[in-house]
Amino acid sequence: MSEKLLEIEDLHVRYRTDEAEVYAVNGLSLSMNKGETLGLVGETGAGKTTTALSILKLLPSKVGEITKGSIKLDGKELTKASEPEMRRIRGADISMIFQDPMTSLNPVIRIGDQIAEVLELHSKDTNRAHIDKRVDEILKLVGISKDRKSDFPHQFSGGMKQRVVIAIGLACEPRLLLADEPTTALDVTIQAQVLEMMKELKEKLNTAMILITHDLGVVAQTCDRVAIMYAGRIIEIGAIKDIFEGENHHPYTVGLFGSIPDLTKETNRLSPIPGMMPDPTKKIPGCAFADRCKYCMDRCREEEPEEYVVGTHMIRCNRFGAGKEAEA
Amino acid sequence: MSPTGSVPLIQVKNLKKYFRTPKGALHAVDDVSFLIKQGRTLGVVGESGCGKSTLGRTILRLTEATSGEVIYGGEDLLKFNKHQMKEMRKRMQIIFQDPYASLNPRMTVSEIIAEPIKVCRTLTDKNEINNKVNELMKTVGLAERFVNTYPHELDGGRRQRIGVARALATDPEFIVCDEPVSALDVSIQAQILNLMMDLQEERKLTYMFITHDLSVVKHISDDIAVMYLGQCVEKATSKELFRNPKHPYTQALLDAIPLPSLKEEDKLKKVIKGEVSSPINPKPGCRFSVRCPHAKKECRERNVPLVDQGDGHCVACVLYQ
Repeated sequence: MSEKLLEIEDLHVRYRTDEAEVYAVNGLSLSMNKGETLGLVGETGAGKTTTALSILKLLPSKVGEITKGSIKLDGKELTKASEPEMRRIRGADISMIFQDPMTSLNPVIRIGDQIAEVLELHSKDTNRAHIDKRVDEILKLVGISKDRKSDFPHQFSGGMKQRVVIAIGLACEPRLLLADEPTTALDVTIQAQVLEMMKELKEKLNTAMILITHDLGVVAQTCDRVAIMYAGRIIEIGAIKDIFEGENHHPYTVGLFGSIPDLTKETNRLSPIPGMMPDPTKKIPGCAFADRCKYCMDRCREEEPEEYVVGTHMIRCNRFGAGKEAEA
Repeated sequence: MSPTGSVPLIQVKNLKKYFRTPKGALHAVDDVSFLIKQGRTLGVVGESGCGKSTLGRTILRLTEATSGEVIYGGEDLLKFNKHQMKEMRKRMQIIFQDPYASLNPRMTVSEIIAEPIKVCRTLTDKNEINNKVNELMKTVGLAERFVNTYPHELDGGRRQRIGVARALATDPEFIVCDEPVSALDVSIQAQILNLMMDLQEERKLTYMFITHDLSVVKHISDDIAVMYLGQCVEKATSKELFRNPKHPYTQALLDAIPLPSLKEEDKLKKVIKGEVSSPINPKPGCRFSVRCPHAKKECRERNVPLVDQGDGHCVACVLYQ
């Protein structure tokens, strides 16, 4: 269980557009164990989806590019892998579930055939009968009756479509599943159904999962570890206990929690974070959160804060550890 | 917190809105009644397709009701002619869900905010209008430098502030807020919610707040109505509803929210099975009965009315009748 499955070192991703260069991911490092669920949390534009697309090398060609860093799956360097190699990995070793189930299925192909496609591409056994049987098994796994496999996507509801997408993602029992906001487009009662199912499947297949979301509630209910992203960096990462029950936090994490209305308490006012995310077309020398941070010191703007690590918990903020001592 | 007026500002009686579809009548809003007192917020919650947006639009006559009454200031809005309605629109406004789609991309920020003033002719002098626009921008926290920018130059949070400023332009008493924060990030969402609550206090506004997000609705509402497939299944004050949810659907809805907490009692509870059935020609009886763990034969045989359980807590369920 404790073997490293995925290791990302100092990843930088840049999008080049006509108007400007956008620095989407700036020095992201991350490692994941087999079978683990990691929540990747952050707001729009934090670079969560870009990170996932970089792992699969699905960044828009010519526009997006990995400028620096390495991504290793089981020790194998992915940034240097060729396109045919990547094509073998996608769907078999790493697969992805996209946010919007309405647009990620092909509307003119029956859902059974869409699931079979993954199997045909990746499994050695190309016997049609075997593949058919496997499709039935997978459908059963995600709770769809096999009578519906010759239906088209539009005949399914949003929640059912997302089940189909998950079925496709898990068809080859990948070692790593990237789930990009898999339940954001769904209603709460359906979201609860899908989350429960994903949790069960993950345990059954021992798949590691990166769950990209902005919903801290979803994270608390499903993840083992959490990484908080801000402006293309991980500013805090730790076991779920560290993030939800730990004492010290990055000021941004505190702001994020302060922004959610609490169902269990009576609060009159929320305490949101003032201001907005920094412009991603500019390189920021110091801490990216400095402009919105009430604890901001001079040195925060000059250099990137050191990592402050206690056990499994890392915070990248000058308020703790070496930064704090230097200030005193 | 909110000023608790005792005068009902708006009363909706047996409102129905059916859409004609090739397959039959779609019961989007089916016999909904409620009243909102001045200065208070009614939260309307439900999942997609339960008719909450249609309800808001029907009240403002952006779509015409099939039947029912909307009493505003003692008169039935639905009987107003075009001229009377235009006068009325000054007093009731709407904030839309999508700050990207609800602003005209060819108009500048100041033009968008000034438009309702020009349409309703509340002010005619150019300088006065400009002053009013500047004042509104200040109220909603938009910097003056954005006066001549276009919506596409701004982010979601700022765009939604324009939407709020536009709704306030004619100094309305009543605002329908149709999922005003669901397209925004949490930290921006919190900024807008705080703004809306401040405005309510300053201007004694009455809100009807439509959302699917239960934590947001709890935060902002005084009273809550829970809708399921066009019908109101439970109605209570916000505190009472969260402390003591009675309808099995409300209970299921509350249980389904993932809480940002690791405590054992906050773990996801039993998940209800099944999905919302079709709103086209629904069968008589309780519409939730197909998914309900307590469903009995009785539920499917007759329509279940909302019954007051005391203190204004109304539930439409056979378990409480």
